[in-house]
Amino acid sequence: MTEKKELEPTQSSEEVRIGVYVCHCGLNIAGSVDCEEVASFAATLPNVVLAKDNRYTCSDQGQELIKNDIKEHKLNRVVVASCSPRLHEPTFRKTCEEAGLNKYLFEMANIREQCSWVHLHDRKGATEKAKDLVKMAVAKAALLQPAEEIEVPITRKALVIGGGVAGIQASLDLADTGYMVYLVEKEPSIGGMMARIDKTFPTMDCSICILAPKMSDVGHHPNIELLTNSEVVEVKGYIGNFHVKVLQKPRYVTKDCSACDECVKVCPIVAPNEFDAGLAIRHAIYTPFAQAVPSTYTIDMNLCLNKEGVIVCDKCIKACERQAIKFEMKPETFELEAGTIIVATGADVFDPSTLPNYGYGKYLNVITSLEFERLINAGGPSGGHLIRPSDLQIPKRVAFVQCVGSRSDRNGRLYCSNVCCMNTIKDSLLIKEHWPETEIYVFYIDIRAYGKGFEDLYKRARKEGAVFIRGLPAEIIEDRKTSNLWLIGENTLQNEMYKISVDMAILSIGLEPGRDSEVIQRLLTLSRTQDGFFMEAHPKLRPVDAATGGIFFAGCAEAPKDIKDSVTQASAAAARAGILMAKGKVTVEAITPIFYAEKCKACGLCTKVCPYNAITLNKELKRIEIIAAACGGCGTCAAECPFDALTQNHFTDEQILAQIDAVTEHDAEKKIVAFCCNWCAYAGADFAGVSRMQYPPNVRIIRTMCSGRVAAKFVERAFARGASTVLVAGCHPGDCHYINANYQTQKRVERLWKKMEQNGLDKERLQLLWASAAEGERFASKIREMQTIVEKVTPEEIGKAKKIFEKPLGES
Amino acid sequence: MPERIRHPPLDSKKVKQPKAEIHLITDECKGCGFCIQFCPKKVLEESQEINARGVHPPKIVDESKCIICGFCTAVCPDFAIFVVEKPCEEAC
Repeated sequence: MTEKKELEPTQSSEEVRIGVYVCHCGLNIAGSVDCEEVASFAATLPNVVLAKDNRYTCSDQGQELIKNDIKEHKLNRVVVASCSPRLHEPTFRKTCEEAGLNKYLFEMANIREQCSWVHLHDRKGATEKAKDLVKMAVAKAALLQPAEEIEVPITRKALVIGGGVAGIQASLDLADTGYMVYLVEKEPSIGGMMARIDKTFPTMDCSICILAPKMSDVGHHPNIELLTNSEVVEVKGYIGNFHVKVLQKPRYVTKDCSACDECVKVCPIVAPNEFDAGLAIRHAIYTPFAQAVPSTYTIDMNLCLNKEGVIVCDKCIKACERQAIKFEMKPETFELEAGTIIVATGADVFDPSTLPNYGYGKYLNVITSLEFERLINAGGPSGGHLIRPSDLQIPKRVAFVQCVGSRSDRNGRLYCSNVCCMNTIKDSLLIKEHWPETEIYVFYIDIRAYGKGFEDLYKRARKEGAVFIRGLPAEIIEDRKTSNLWLIGENTLQNEMYKISVDMAILSIGLEPGRDSEVIQRLLTLSRTQDGFFMEAHPKLRPVDAATGGIFFAGCAEAPKDIKDSVTQASAAAARAGILMAKGKVTVEAITPIFYAEKCKACGLCTKVCPYNAITLNKELKRIEIIAAACGGCGTCAAECPFDALTQNHFTDEQILAQIDAVTEHDAEKKIVAFCCNWCAYAGADFAGVSRMQYPPNVRIIRTMCSGRVAAKFVERAFARGASTVLVAGCHPGDCHYINANYQTQKRVERLWKKMEQNGLDKERLQLLWASAAEGERFASKIREMQTIVEKVTPEEIGKAKKIFEKPLGES
Repeated sequence: MPERIRHPPLDSKKVKQPKAEIHLITDECKGCGFCIQFCPKKVLEESQEINARGVHPPKIVDESKCIICGFCTAVCPDFAIFVVEKPCEEAC
């Protein structure tokens, strides 16, 4: 936590000496901006000691020049007007540090992506805009304060949630590196989906045969503590220092169990076995499958007669020679400390009974691909004989229906589930291997055989005689006498209808987000995509990191993927977690809140808007407490505080207000004041520049880390100073870089709209835009659209807004 | 595990449930109702008849549901109920 007191003494008495460097960037900037004019204008600004223009500021010579000037002219602030801070801010920050200047005393004006490139044919307008942008940067720079980045120690232990193949791989990798791992699995055994599959594509390896050794390694590894039958119920803390509560349900069987199976023989209760997709039975006391880890049996209390400690039936107790059955076992809560968390919670499968045209659940011989896996598995209910459920005979004609619960508007799952095409091809080869005479029909939309060795497998399946028909059946109808099925649909390659009779139909069901995703999302403050899978920090460059620090993804929790990809991602996640833990500490960018304790009224509004739970209300002391390490740096708390008790380092109220004032000093009535979040809208504006999308030059962009930082008073100040229009732009709802901070943006803008309406102002003058980093055109067209509003706004309206918004400002 | 179970288990016929033979000594019963209340499978209910002690003894609703846990025998204060397993020749 940073308090004002610690910061005050640094520079307040010292004279502010700013150096401004205007970069030509070859002709990239100089082509449409008069850089010399901008530099000589900058020299006239307050606190500016020197202003220079040069060809390439980012070159070694350019950087040397800055370093020399810092020493020679005793500069204590540096402003570079060049490209986007998203590109070269780190470069120049380093330059400043090398010359002994704190890196937070550097500021950048973006006159390339957001000026020269988007106003290629308006030299005058672009030059004026560049001057304004430099003026804004200088105004902010004068108020910059040095800051130290805090270091947070990291607990060298990891928590892995989910014991499927991804969780297993991540745990083993981390444990082998030497870190302590807690592996939490909600089922009685680890193994997940992979344990249920018969063979894997494209190599046709036996799935459990290659998984079981890994499972057993997990069970025996000295660095892994395996918690099965357990669920994470609470996660507190932040990167490096998570405090986790895990609830373990009792097994009612102790570790003395030797898995002799005597108890199962006497247990009078039977139910469908979930592991076998309900195709086989199990007892109330059971082990999910032969290779289960831990091998200790477990009692399903939903089925057992002995409820709440009353022993009604004691058959298993009597049968157990080792006396391993203990009905008095109670649920236990473990409190764990972890530095990093890997989320490997996996996916669930689509329930095809929601599609009545396929008759799943109604016709016995329509089964899912997962049921097929258990049927063809030698350890399954039929001992590896492919039999159809209605008469237990081996089917002669089999159909596979692809994309059931994938790529369809009808069931709301628009994505491709990634594994079903290859799974079907593998399954058809398995059938051909055992019963070569079987006729196989595969109904598909597209066959996606994209991976290594996939196409070969596809070719092999066709060579073996599997018939691939493009066009999913519209309907499956059962012949009541024979229980055979008619598949009716259109072959879209041959433009003709088909009606094919088969003995059994297998629905290739897609994957869908785990049913517990919502709980995990809430516990760990993660975000999810529209499809419901967890969202990574960056789809290309940080594909296994969560937006929340210290949390990583592995396996199908992030998106549907096959075993190979899950294992790859698990190792990647383990490596990423390992990097953090190997360092043993992490630095947090100094954009955390500054807290003025004397102004705080302990209202708790900031604690409610903080997406990271980094602020807590101390009711006894009547003040808030900030955990800087947990802070993501969005600044929403500072925007929300009604008493100005909070502001954000490097984006203080004074700094942003100074930028607004700089914009509105001249010709405010012609300008658009835009607040853009660093990750989406600002990046989108940069993208518009890179793509040379042209838009009117009267927009002035003020960068904040999140649109949630934009306090109502910033907008009010812009209007009070006579700005014609204001734009607030951020990430799309649900895509916020700071989890959900932009929902606060929306609320604030809506409140402002209401206020404007009540006061008879045209609420069109305040615009809200959601634009992603890839939506440059969306940003550009918004500015074009706003230009028409700027032209429409009359001086009377501007005067009216000035009056309305000046008043509350005066009060505060 | 998640997906809905729609088909009856294929091997459900293989599992042989023990067949019970419930014996009631109705005249010993004093009508406390413990056996009815505690039977986990709800095999028994109160009958309308009146026994020698002037109370309603239990009657068997569905003998096939009984899993021979023997809890009724354990809770009966008057030793008025016991269950034996039918030999397989008769039952299977």
